[in-house]
Amino acid sequence: MSRKIAYVQAFNEAVRQEMQANDDVFCAGEDIGAFGGVFQSYAGLQKEFGERRVVDTPISEQAIIGLGVGAAVAGLRPIVDIMFMDFIAVAFDQIINQAAKLKYMFGGSATVPMTITTGGGGGLSAAAQHSQSLEALICHIPGLKVVYPSNPYDMKGLMTSCIRENNPTIMIKHKRLLGMQGDVPEEPYAIPLGKANILREGTDVTVVSWAKMANDSVDVADQLASEGISVEVIDPRTMQPLDTETIVASVKKTNRVIVVHEAVRFAGLGAEVAAQIQEEAFDYLDAPVGRVAAPFSPVPFSPVLEAHYQPSPDRITEAIRSVLARPGA
Amino acid sequence: MMSSTAGMREMSSRVASTVGIIVNPHAGKDIRRLVSAAGHTSDSVKIGIMRRVAAGALEQGAERVLMSTDTHHLAERAVEGLDGNIEFIDGPTTGSHLDTVAAAASMWKAEASAVVALGGDGTCRDVTTGWPDVPLIAISTGTNNVFPSSVDGTSAGVAAALVATGAVSIDRVGSAAKRVSLHVNDPARDVAVHEEALVEAALVDTTFVGARAVTDPATIRWVIACLANPASTGLASIAGRVHPVGRDDAGGVLVRLGPGGRRVRVPLAPGSFATIDIAAVEPLALGDVVDLPSGGVLAFDGERNTPTSANTTISATIERSGPRVIDVDATLEIAARDHRFDAGTSSRKERHGE
Amino acid sequence: MELSNDVLMDMHRRMVRIRLFEEAAGRLAEAAKLPGFLHLYVGQEAVASGVCAALTDQDQITSTHRGHGHLVAKGGEFKPMMAELMAKSTGYNKGKGGSMHISNLDVGMFGANGIVGAGAPIAVGAGFANKYRDDGNVAAAFFGDGSTNIGAFHEAANMACALQLPVLFICENNEYGEFTPRDKTMAITDIVDRAAGYGMPGVIVDGMDVVAIHEATVEAKARAVRGDGPSLIEAKTYRFYNHHGVQNLGLKYRTDDEVEVWKQRDPIFTFEDRMIDANNASRDDFDAVWAELRADIEEAIQFAEDSPFPTPDQILVDVYSDTPSATSGAAQ
Repeated sequence: MSRKIAYVQAFNEAVRQEMQANDDVFCAGEDIGAFGGVFQSYAGLQKEFGERRVVDTPISEQAIIGLGVGAAVAGLRPIVDIMFMDFIAVAFDQIINQAAKLKYMFGGSATVPMTITTGGGGGLSAAAQHSQSLEALICHIPGLKVVYPSNPYDMKGLMTSCIRENNPTIMIKHKRLLGMQGDVPEEPYAIPLGKANILREGTDVTVVSWAKMANDSVDVADQLASEGISVEVIDPRTMQPLDTETIVASVKKTNRVIVVHEAVRFAGLGAEVAAQIQEEAFDYLDAPVGRVAAPFSPVPFSPVLEAHYQPSPDRITEAIRSVLARPGA
Repeated sequence: MMSSTAGMREMSSRVASTVGIIVNPHAGKDIRRLVSAAGHTSDSVKIGIMRRVAAGALEQGAERVLMSTDTHHLAERAVEGLDGNIEFIDGPTTGSHLDTVAAAASMWKAEASAVVALGGDGTCRDVTTGWPDVPLIAISTGTNNVFPSSVDGTSAGVAAALVATGAVSIDRVGSAAKRVSLHVNDPARDVAVHEEALVEAALVDTTFVGARAVTDPATIRWVIACLANPASTGLASIAGRVHPVGRDDAGGVLVRLGPGGRRVRVPLAPGSFATIDIAAVEPLALGDVVDLPSGGVLAFDGERNTPTSANTTISATIERSGPRVIDVDATLEIAARDHRFDAGTSSRKERHGE
Repeated sequence: MELSNDVLMDMHRRMVRIRLFEEAAGRLAEAAKLPGFLHLYVGQEAVASGVCAALTDQDQITSTHRGHGHLVAKGGEFKPMMAELMAKSTGYNKGKGGSMHISNLDVGMFGANGIVGAGAPIAVGAGFANKYRDDGNVAAAFFGDGSTNIGAFHEAANMACALQLPVLFICENNEYGEFTPRDKTMAITDIVDRAAGYGMPGVIVDGMDVVAIHEATVEAKARAVRGDGPSLIEAKTYRFYNHHGVQNLGLKYRTDDEVEVWKQRDPIFTFEDRMIDANNASRDDFDAVWAELRADIEEAIQFAEDSPFPTPDQILVDVYSDTPSATSGAAQ
């Protein structure tokens, strides 16, 4: 049975149901126990499962990830929380050199069924160290999987998959989507990782976008529909592995594509998406792949500056018009 | 030793009144912190005590403070920025207890008049191996601290200087301690050594020195003690709890362990107790020589130290030939009565002609 | 605690296995038969052997870049180890790890690690799993003196103590972080002085004395199993060869005299001498151990040399579990 709950509750429910189903699942992180996490992602879980399974840790990001890696190799299924995505920088050795690589380095003998959860994205005037979208950094590392859901339904299904996944997975919760309401089934379900979702079907132009930007892109598409422009919005949902197949199929249909993301443009995931499109569908393109992304600066503090910094519906609209302006084949 | 020392001093030109400071950097850090509630003595604690000793000694007019150097550079760090005539003896070579032995011998050569040593029973034993009748103030920074006391470094430094400068005569405040003296002879290997202990010696039925601490009561064969205080911990507590022997009592006691006799609870390590089977208790008068079984590792003052074989012969005796232990309280009291702490009218440096 | 002759001879065997494996690896490296870096454990054999003799296959260890000794001591077999050093597909890591990542989870060895200090947080995780399952196992982290200067170590030590996990922190203080003496990189001499700062006991043992190390480990393990939390054991030891490789390469960061003084305290030979003195074993007993293990090593070298290299189609295998080729773009 389905009912409307918030994005953060969908996350919480996935964790709770997987913990109920499997005693090997435990959570550890800063403030997640009695307090429930700064975003209340883990609210009520320690009360239900006790301090053994929902562990308040010191403010020690390296050791938090290390705790997950060691426990995972030893056979548990850890969920470890890094409060803000920006803080993964503190724990990069454990993420990049340990979690991602142990299986390969050990000739396959190790499995690391660990989920790292973290809060990403801007829009809260949280400035340069609490607002970043760093998915490109981690997508670059073989061995990791990266998930960044755009709505409550996907959140629950993807988080369930992350927990069940036998690889180190990073689940990014967008901070501006935490309160977003949506229909979510009560029973457990899993959305396979690496499978894109066509949020809105269309025929004139494809927008590839995820997390909050996917929602903004759908809003733009709704607006443009009144002008007779048919926009297809694809949400990859999983950044690594990336569902290139769905994106390419859409591009072959629409012949025009833009990528929208919150991270900076240079070496952002848009570059990878564009490169794969030109490799797979060069002859189908009627226009260069457009990119809407942040300027190459840290995330500014002032709401005025941040509003300019983040891709706005206007900029998305402009980019769509720009690729449509090119004459077709 | 005593007379030859005195002889050398008479022949030499006047030596600056010298207080020696010896630290054992390893004291208070061994396995007993795992097997018992023994405390950890960090380098910074030791450095602080040494600095207080040096400051106290200089304040009280010692013309020279002579520091042992150690692998941990505790001495150099302790006196950094301290104003006064501070010298260091030649550096450590082994990183082991032998450095302490060598430091004490160097202090004797350099004609120190009083030595302050930081460590536990083991450290004091090493100091007296290097300088058997050393005028000594021992500050406890070890695990088993039967021999040393917990006097503050400041007072220890002042007392040492009072003795070193002759302001208080060593004859009034220093008395020779007892010790257990052992002759260990292994004919098969043609090795004969003389060993001594300030508190107790014991035979432990193990093959290896290992982590040094004696933790398994079942392995202890005998304990011979010249200082058996029921308030102590460690091997000495075995003797102390069946036959107390004080510092001023003549003689000591030999306790043989084994079934059939009394069973006694003892704190074999700080905070941890064991049941000991006592087969025999033999009081010893000063000078009595007793032959003891061998085969195992000899432990001195709480630490396994010297492996023996079954062919080794061991004879032991209690002597009053140990270090001259300076009574800090008595020294300061005499000094106070003699107005030794009065500030006077001129500066301290002028008074000592520096 | 008096150790049985079986335990003593077992620890000796572990030490000799390490010595022979490392000496062989050194010779092979000099003959240019081993690709990559090589950090030899010779001189420190007593530490791994004394610790691992107190552990079971279910107890986990994390290791360092100088990790062969830890794996041998934990029960690693010569053949797959030598094959891994030679980058062969029959190696423990199928030729994908090499000397610096050599591992065998079957004996609880969570891998040599190329990142200084990285093993400690992983040991905390393994210790967490042990406590979580209440299975009585402990996790031991081996690390060097240098790695106690890195943040990962401090985070791990603090977290292990905060959560009271069954973790043993085993510091092998060989007095040099790569080529720089310890006293240039920290203002303390004994790593154990740090232990109190986390709230655990710290003890120093002679790292050239396998019995001392074993005794301390047995006590630390008992403490951890009782639920009393972690301990720090600092073994004062020394590596007889260079930071990497076997030759001194004209590097004069240590004096020949210093090396010689430590070699006088060789952990294997001093052990053998005492065992013979105490009539616990004879020279012939020890000669037989060396001869048997030498034959094993020769056999392992032959096995490794005869083994094939991995084929290029193995590159993408084991990047991920279950779904080796599911990532887009990875194959291009």
